[in-house]
Amino acid sequence: MKKKILFIVALVVLVLWIFPLVWLAITSLKLEEDVLTDVFRIFPKHPTLQNYAKAFSSTYILKWLWNSTVVSVVTMILTLAVDAPIAYAMAKIKFRGRQILFWFVMAGMMIPFQVIIIPLYLQFNSYGLVNTLSAAILPRLALPIGIFILKQFFEGIPDELEEAAFIDGSGRGRIFTTIILPLGKSALATVMILSFINAWNDFLWPLIAISDTAKYTITVGIANFQGVHGTDYSLIMSGAVIASVPQFVFYFIFRKKIVEGIAMTGIKG
Amino acid sequence: MKRKSLSACLLVLSLLLLGTVGIGASGSQEKDVASEKGGPIEITFWSLFTGGDGEFFDAMVDEFNRTHDDIVMTTDTVKFDNYYTKLTTALTSQNAPDVVVIHRSKLLNYVPSGTLYPLDDVLKSVNAPMDDFIPAALEPCTFDGKIYSLPLDVHALIMYYNKDLFRQAGIDKVPVTYEEFVATAKKVQDKTGAMGAAIDNTTATYKAYTLTRLFMSFMEQQGGSVLTEDLSAADFNNEMGEKALQALVDMVHKYGITESGLDYDSSVAAFKLGKAAIHINGVWATGSFEKQEGLDFAAVPLPAMLGKPAAWSGSHTLAIPAKKEMSNEKLAAAVEFMLWMTERGDLWAKAGHIPIRKSVSDNPNFQSLPHRKDYAAAAASSFAAPRTVAWDEIYNNLSDSLELAVASGQDVKTALAEMEKMVNSIIASY
Amino acid sequence: MAIPGNKDTRDGVLFSLPFVLIYLFLLVFPIIFGLCISFYKWDILSSRKFIGLGNYISLFKDKTFYTSLWHTFQFVFMTTPILMVAGFLMALFVNSKSLLRGAGENIFFIPYVLSITVIGTLWAWLFQKNYGLFNQLFMLLGHAKVGWLTDPQKAMWSVSAATIWWTAGFNMILFSAGMKQISAEVYESARIDGAGYFRILKDITIPLLRPTIVLCLLLQIIASFKVFGQVFVMTGGGPYGKTRVLIQYIYENGFTYFKMGYSSAMAYVLFLLIMVISVVYYKIMGRDK
Repeated sequence: MKKKILFIVALVVLVLWIFPLVWLAITSLKLEEDVLTDVFRIFPKHPTLQNYAKAFSSTYILKWLWNSTVVSVVTMILTLAVDAPIAYAMAKIKFRGRQILFWFVMAGMMIPFQVIIIPLYLQFNSYGLVNTLSAAILPRLALPIGIFILKQFFEGIPDELEEAAFIDGSGRGRIFTTIILPLGKSALATVMILSFINAWNDFLWPLIAISDTAKYTITVGIANFQGVHGTDYSLIMSGAVIASVPQFVFYFIFRKKIVEGIAMTGIKG
Repeated sequence: MKRKSLSACLLVLSLLLLGTVGIGASGSQEKDVASEKGGPIEITFWSLFTGGDGEFFDAMVDEFNRTHDDIVMTTDTVKFDNYYTKLTTALTSQNAPDVVVIHRSKLLNYVPSGTLYPLDDVLKSVNAPMDDFIPAALEPCTFDGKIYSLPLDVHALIMYYNKDLFRQAGIDKVPVTYEEFVATAKKVQDKTGAMGAAIDNTTATYKAYTLTRLFMSFMEQQGGSVLTEDLSAADFNNEMGEKALQALVDMVHKYGITESGLDYDSSVAAFKLGKAAIHINGVWATGSFEKQEGLDFAAVPLPAMLGKPAAWSGSHTLAIPAKKEMSNEKLAAAVEFMLWMTERGDLWAKAGHIPIRKSVSDNPNFQSLPHRKDYAAAAASSFAAPRTVAWDEIYNNLSDSLELAVASGQDVKTALAEMEKMVNSIIASY
Repeated sequence: MAIPGNKDTRDGVLFSLPFVLIYLFLLVFPIIFGLCISFYKWDILSSRKFIGLGNYISLFKDKTFYTSLWHTFQFVFMTTPILMVAGFLMALFVNSKSLLRGAGENIFFIPYVLSITVIGTLWAWLFQKNYGLFNQLFMLLGHAKVGWLTDPQKAMWSVSAATIWWTAGFNMILFSAGMKQISAEVYESARIDGAGYFRILKDITIPLLRPTIVLCLLLQIIASFKVFGQVFVMTGGGPYGKTRVLIQYIYENGFTYFKMGYSSAMAYVLFLLIMVISVVYYKIMGRDK
């Protein structure tokens, strides 16, 4: 009985939690005229794909999706390449300056990004990097939160595993690539997802750093759906759906990896 | 050995990351090469028109490209509230396009630093018909006797009213004075149950700018202005200001013809759905009201509620950012585009905007558009925002203060005194 | 782990190098540049004028600076506790044996995937006073319209609600990762000793999760102090500036009025503030670690 009640409570919470997203999708299928008058219908009175047609008729939307994909995937890969080694160093190597490094990374999280945008822009401009996709990628590589997740996870890996490998004659590099990385799979997957999401959702920086519409990322591109003089909710919602679907797909692909990774470490740890 | 190779790997990675910086460097140079070749001259352009305005604007650019073989316009659109951020950063680094849209009230942020190109010489060389422009529209684009941009339109604050609701309430006269305005709105409200006057007075997705625009208009209608003539201080903490602000506060609190806490989207929607008798907004709303089926409305200049006719107005203007190298052909092509856009004000008027060239006002295409000529007269009595770099900040903060005053039914004297202090300190900070 | 005879310092430096370079180049350098800007009066188009501490002096006299800072604090106090508890409960749920745990993990995390613009617009639409879903429902039930985003008493709460929906799933991931590291044997033996669910929660899960909780809370406080996007999209700082948070004020000064120096100065004050709070927090919480 108690179990059943808990089950129902959980079910209700979950349905309510997902509802705003369902609402987003429903609104995107409504006619602009119906959005204000047809609020209640779960299924729209005149279901239509015209908002999507309108969104896709903006010639660049596929290009934007492609740009976002390139930016996010490259960011994700480079972030792992940069963040995993330092996280390992902070978790497992006892070297001088470790504590200072920790606070150094920490401080980076505390600075409001808005403050460095102009200096960063001037800096990128002087290297001729403005208006290139690299401009959208580079400032996102240092992901302190990623370092924390990895560091925390690596700390949980028993020292004995490393010691055994060391006795077998492995060095740091080998320990890192053959023991730490495979064991840290789930944490790595989490960081991958986070850096992908971050890069995909970034708005203000790519807006300023990239000037050609054709080089926009999708997040910047669909922002133009918001009118100067009034909000066309159904159109904006369709843009939101288009911009979000690739992220859902990405999430569901790598989510499995998290679960697998956790299951694996569960057995070994 | 193994250890060494990973160390090497990390080093290489570090170098690569630094190297990426160099790779991108080639990107920015590609563009200029194309224009050197024979072919049509490519002119790049940034606009801030999205939504309804954007559709009409893009259609105009398409029309231009269709009718001009020698020039190709490529447009990039940036969402309005980020447009100037992007434009300014681009201007600092010479990355701005060849032609840009700039609001009249923003020109002063760019002209003094020399970031815009003075147009007089080019205009003369292409024999631009400058007398065709309405002087009142051209004047604000002129600084120290030099023209820095060409106006594309004037967009004034006007009044919309629902003819059906007026008829149902037995109203046959468009209100003029404040008393008439209130009485009309009240009568419709009482008889039909619709909102009397949909005037946004709170910030949601959009700031409650209508309040500020009305307040400014009310000041001008009484012969005053929000700032002193030399623009060095606020000039509304006086009888005129009290009357203007009281008029706004009373609409909500004393007469109840406007709902309190009404945001911009709701006020537009209320009028659009036939649930409001009167709506005050810029001319730009015309286009979307026309699309609404079953809405029978009229659009007229803002009534001279507190004295003489006067209405806040803005203007989109076209300018050329000053760059290191810009060939004469390119300059001429850019100016040709700008002139063409102003000349086809009849197309732009479809979005609701008022044309600024005399020839357009006489153009049968424009004449045949509904509503536009009803309010075109508003341009004559419209006024521009004060010409000071501090204006943007004053405008936004005034908007907040007016919102507070209207929302809380604040005593107007206290409110005005606070606003005056705030405006003066903003001016002092520039 | 220290490897005997190994050059730990050299390894540490080598492993940290790629990150540190990126960091110096893309963050530290702009930060120092930004600090220099804060001593100037500069609209980024004209030439800059050195005014020493002028910007810092005027910000201490600026009323809007204080109110914006206060609104930021309000947001931190409104969201942090709820986000912590919600994330924790979610993590408990997805680590339970409930049939819905898989669905839960996805549903709770998915909002976090969406961009701030999408979240902001979606919730602004749900909260919209006259046509939004919530008020339409209220009116259907005979309740008066509520100014979710237009009533100064409620606006910040509404923004907080949207934020909680958006980011609670992230905390869930952090907590969940921590919970999964607690080995099953610990629970097993506790259960054999006859401990009930809440007893296990109180005596085992929470104490063992302490490092995660300490870290998560710190991250949450920092993130909440940096609130901007959702406020900007949903209320624009309104009604009449009542939800304007400090970063919004920094943004307005920097990117709308182009008072770059003033904007940088304020950002530095916020940076210092977050730094001090974090260090104090870490000294207190991390003491007995």
